Amino acid sequence: MTMTLRNLFGAVLAAVLLAVPSARAADMKDPAELKKLLATLDDRQSNGGDYKSLMYIEQKEKDKTDVVREAVVYRRDARDQLMILMTKPKGEAGKGYLRLEKNLWSYDPNTGKWERRTERERIAGTDSRRADFDESRLAEEYDPAFEGEEKLGKFTAWKLVLTARQGVDVAYPVVHLWVDKETSNILKRQEFALSKRLMRTSYYPKWMKVFSESKKADVWFPQEMRFYDEVEKANSTVIVVKNVDLNALEENIFTKAWLESKSR
Amino acid sequence: MGQLKLLVQVAFRNLFASWVNVIIGGIILFGTVLVVVGGAVVDSLDESMSRSIIGSVAGHLQVYSEKSKDSLALYGNMGGEADLRVIERFSDIKKVLEQHPNVKTVVPMGTNSTMLMSGNTVDLTLARLRDLYKQAAAGETPELRAQIDSLKTHVRQMIALLEKDLERRNALAAENAMDPADLRALERARSQEFWDGFEKDPLASLELLENRIAPLVTDGDMVPLRYLGTDLVNYQKTFDRMRIVDGTAVPEGQRGLLLPKFSYEEFFKLKTARRLDIIKEARDVNHRKIAEDPELQRRLKENQTQTRELLFQLDPLKTQQAIARLQKVLGSTDTELEKLLVAFFTMDDANFDARYQQFYAELVPLLDLYRLRLGDELTITAFTRTGYARSANVKVYGTFEFTGMEKSQLAGSLSLMDIITFRELYGYMTADQKDELAKLQEASGVTDVAREDAEAALFGEDSSLVAETSSGSIDEDAQLAGSSQARRQQELALSKYTQQDIDDGVVLHAAIMLKDPDTLEQTMVELQEASKKAGLPLKVVSWHQASDLVGQIILVAKLVLYAAVFIIFVVAVVIINNSVMMATLQRVREIGTMRAIGAHRGFVLGMVLLETTVLGLVFGAAGALLGSLAVKGLGMAGIPAFHESLYFFFSGPRLFPTLQASNIITALVIVLGVSAFSTFYPAYLATRVSPLQAMQTDE
Repeated sequence: MTMTLRNLFGAVLAAVLLAVPSARAADMKDPAELKKLLATLDDRQSNGGDYKSLMYIEQKEKDKTDVVREAVVYRRDARDQLMILMTKPKGEAGKGYLRLEKNLWSYDPNTGKWERRTERERIAGTDSRRADFDESRLAEEYDPAFEGEEKLGKFTAWKLVLTARQGVDVAYPVVHLWVDKETSNILKRQEFALSKRLMRTSYYPKWMKVFSESKKADVWFPQEMRFYDEVEKANSTVIVVKNVDLNALEENIFTKAWLESKSR
Repeated sequence: MGQLKLLVQVAFRNLFASWVNVIIGGIILFGTVLVVVGGAVVDSLDESMSRSIIGSVAGHLQVYSEKSKDSLALYGNMGGEADLRVIERFSDIKKVLEQHPNVKTVVPMGTNSTMLMSGNTVDLTLARLRDLYKQAAAGETPELRAQIDSLKTHVRQMIALLEKDLERRNALAAENAMDPADLRALERARSQEFWDGFEKDPLASLELLENRIAPLVTDGDMVPLRYLGTDLVNYQKTFDRMRIVDGTAVPEGQRGLLLPKFSYEEFFKLKTARRLDIIKEARDVNHRKIAEDPELQRRLKENQTQTRELLFQLDPLKTQQAIARLQKVLGSTDTELEKLLVAFFTMDDANFDARYQQFYAELVPLLDLYRLRLGDELTITAFTRTGYARSANVKVYGTFEFTGMEKSQLAGSLSLMDIITFRELYGYMTADQKDELAKLQEASGVTDVAREDAEAALFGEDSSLVAETSSGSIDEDAQLAGSSQARRQQELALSKYTQQDIDDGVVLHAAIMLKDPDTLEQTMVELQEASKKAGLPLKVVSWHQASDLVGQIILVAKLVLYAAVFIIFVVAVVIINNSVMMATLQRVREIGTMRAIGAHRGFVLGMVLLETTVLGLVFGAAGALLGSLAVKGLGMAGIPAFHESLYFFFSGPRLFPTLQASNIITALVIVLGVSAFSTFYPAYLATRVSPLQAMQTDE
C-alpha cells in the first residue's frame, strides 16, 4: 500500500510512485531508464491490500476562516475503489465521497442524499479535483525528460519534466518533479496548464515508510503535504497523515449503504 | 395699466402676423408636449417601480452592517451575492430601529443564491426506489411492495428505451461507439436473469444501475435558486404585494420554502408543457403566428425531438394508455408511442388550440407536470463563506407572486425561505464551532509556512526527510462518536422555532417600513445616528439604493429625458433667438415710428418680451393640452411592456401613466423661461432703434 491520501491529492500519488529505490544520475539521461523509472513507480503504487488512513486537512483561503477537517480515507486498489469519510468537525462528520466505477458520489447525512459529482467539483472544499483521485499511471500518461540536478534546501534533487502523452486526458498536461537524489522521494511538484501557466506547487517535506504484511515490503507515503495555489496566491492546503492502518477492510465497505450507516 | 393692456393687445395681434412666430410656436408646442408626456411617463414609471420594489422586498429602507465589504444589492450583483457582514443578533438592531417614531416595522432578512443540481431522470427514479427499499427494510407492507414493483417495471421500461436510444446513436456515429464495459452492463441490466435475482440483494443490484446505467443518461439539470430568508409571517404582513398562488403559506414556526410562480413554471414544469404554454401565450396575448415566427417554430420542433422526457415518465401501463389516447386523438393506428408523440406535436396555427387542450386533457393526467410537487422536499446545498458546504431539505409549501409583477423575471427570481433554514445554509459559525476548529488546528501541530520561504523552511539544515512508522489501527466509530447524536439534536432544535429564535439569530440585512415615507431622507440620517450611538453601526439605505442596478435604471431614464429636453430647448433658444432677431429687424421702421411718437425704450422692451411670452403661453398651453390628452390616452390604453424584463419596471404587463399637475407646471415654466431668455437680446437690440435710424431705412 502506498499512502492514504494517495488518491485524494494527485500529488501524493506521484510522490508515492517516485518512492523508488535510488537510481543513478547518469542513468537518468537515458530515456529508456527514465521510462522504466516511471513504470516502476506505477508498479509500486498499485497495491493489492486494503488501506485506511486518518488525515488532517487544513485549507487557507483569502478573507476566509481556515477550513479544517479530519477524514478517514479507505482504498482497495485491486478494485480501484476509494472512499473518504469526514469525521471532524461535528458539522461535517458523516459526509463522504465514494468512488465506484467511473462515478464519484458525495453523501450528506443532513439530507440523506447521494449526488453524482463532476470532474470540476472541488472535493471537500479544497483545491483537489476528481482527476486527483484517479489512479496514478505516470508511465502510461506522461513522457519523462531529465532536466538536471537542483538544490532544494540541503537536498540535491533530480528535476524531471513530465509531458502528457497525446490523446491522454490528464488534469495537468505538464508536471515538474523534484526527486531526492539520495532517497528517491519526491520533494516538490509543480503542475502546469496547457497554456504553460503554473497552477499549483506542492512540497513533500516528510516521508514515512511502513512495513506492509500484504506486500511483504516497505511502503512509502508523504506524511505531510503542502499545496500552494499558484492562481489564487493566497490559497494553500496542508494535509497531514496522522495514522495508517493496513488491516483488511470489511468486504462490503465500498457501498452507499456502509457510508450511510456511519451517520445513523 | 393702460400701457400693459395695449401691449397685450399688440402681442395678440402679432401672434400669427408672421410665419416666424408660427415656427417659434411650433417649437414651443413640441417641447411642451414632450415635457408633459415624458415627465408623466417617467414619474409613473418611478412610482410603479417604487411600488414594486418597496412592496415586494425592499421596504422603504434597508439596513445592514456598516462593516460590510460590499453594498447591499437586493436584486443581485453581476459577480454573485454582495459580501455583507453578519449582524449577530437581530433583536439588537430591531430594538434600536423601532425606537424611532417613524419606523412601523422591521423585517429580518438575508439573501443568498445557489445552484440546485438534480441527477438525471434515471438517477431520480433509482433514488426513489432506493428509498422505498430502505423503508421496506424497516417493515414491508403490501402497499410498499406494490410501489416497489411498479417502480421496478418503470425502471425496466427506461432501460429498454435507453438501449434503443444508444443503438440509434451508435449507428449514427460508429467512432463514438460505447465503452464495451457499459454495453455489457446494459446487457446485464436488460437480462431477465438480473431482474429475477434483483430481490436477493436489492441495494447491490441498484448500485449496478446507479453506477453503470444512470450515467448513460445525460438529462441532469441545474436550476439557479436565489432565496430571501426572512421572518415569513412578519414578511407577509408587511409586504402587501406578495400573494400565494398555489399551495399554502409556510405555517408559523415551521421551516419551508415558497417558490416564485415564474421560476416554478420555468424550471420545474415539464419542458414540453412549458413550451406549449409559451406558444399559447404568444398566440393569444401577443397575436403571434406560428407560421411567421421562427422562435415558436423552434419550440414546436423541440417538442418533437425531445419526447424522451415524456417517454421516461411513463411506466408500461401508462405507456399503453398514452398510446390508446393518442391513437384516438390522431385517428392513427400507429402503435409506437414515440411516433405518435411526434405526430401529435406536429402543430400549426390551425390545430394548435385543439392540440393544446388535448395535451392537458389526455396526456398530462398520465404525467408528472412538475418535477417538484408542492409539499415535496427540495434539497438545497449552499457554499458558505467559511468554505464548508451546507445542505438542507426544505419543504416547498407553495408558489407566490408579487402582484403586478407576475411576468417579471427579476421579481420572479427570488424565493422566500424561513430565516432559520437560511441561517443553517448560510453557515455562520457559533463560538462553539469556532472553538472546535481552533482545537483541531492546535492538535494537528501544523505550522504556517509562507510560500516565499517554503523551501528554506521545509528543506533546511535541521529537516529530516525520512522516518519509519508502523501500521496502526483506525476506528472510525470512535472518531465519529457523538456526531450523529449532535446532528439529531440539531435537527430537532431546528424543526420548530419561535419568534424568539428568529429574533435572537443572525441576519444580513433588514427591511424597514415607515409610517410616513415623505420624511424618508430625514429618517435615514436619524436611524444611522441612532445605530451609531447604540454601538451597532448600520448603513441605512433607501429602497432606491438597495435595489442597486435596478434602482439606477429609473435614474438613467430620467437623465435621458432631461438630456433630451435640454438639447431640444438649447436648439429652441437658438432658433427663437434668431427668429425674434429677424422679426425685430423686420420691424425697425415700426419700432422707430413708435419711438418717434413718444414710446419709451421700456415700452419697446416690454412689447417685444411680452410678444414672445404670449407666444410661449399660447403655444405652451396648447402643447400642455395636447400632452395631457396624449397622457390621458396612454393612461387608458396603457403602454405595453414589449419585453418581459419591462414587466418589473411597469409593475405589470402595461404601464398606465397618470398626469400630475407638476408635469404641466414644469412644462410651462420651462417654456416661458426659455422663450423669455431667448428674447432678451433681440429685445435689447430693439430698444437701440432710434427714430432717425428707422426713417433712414430703405424698404
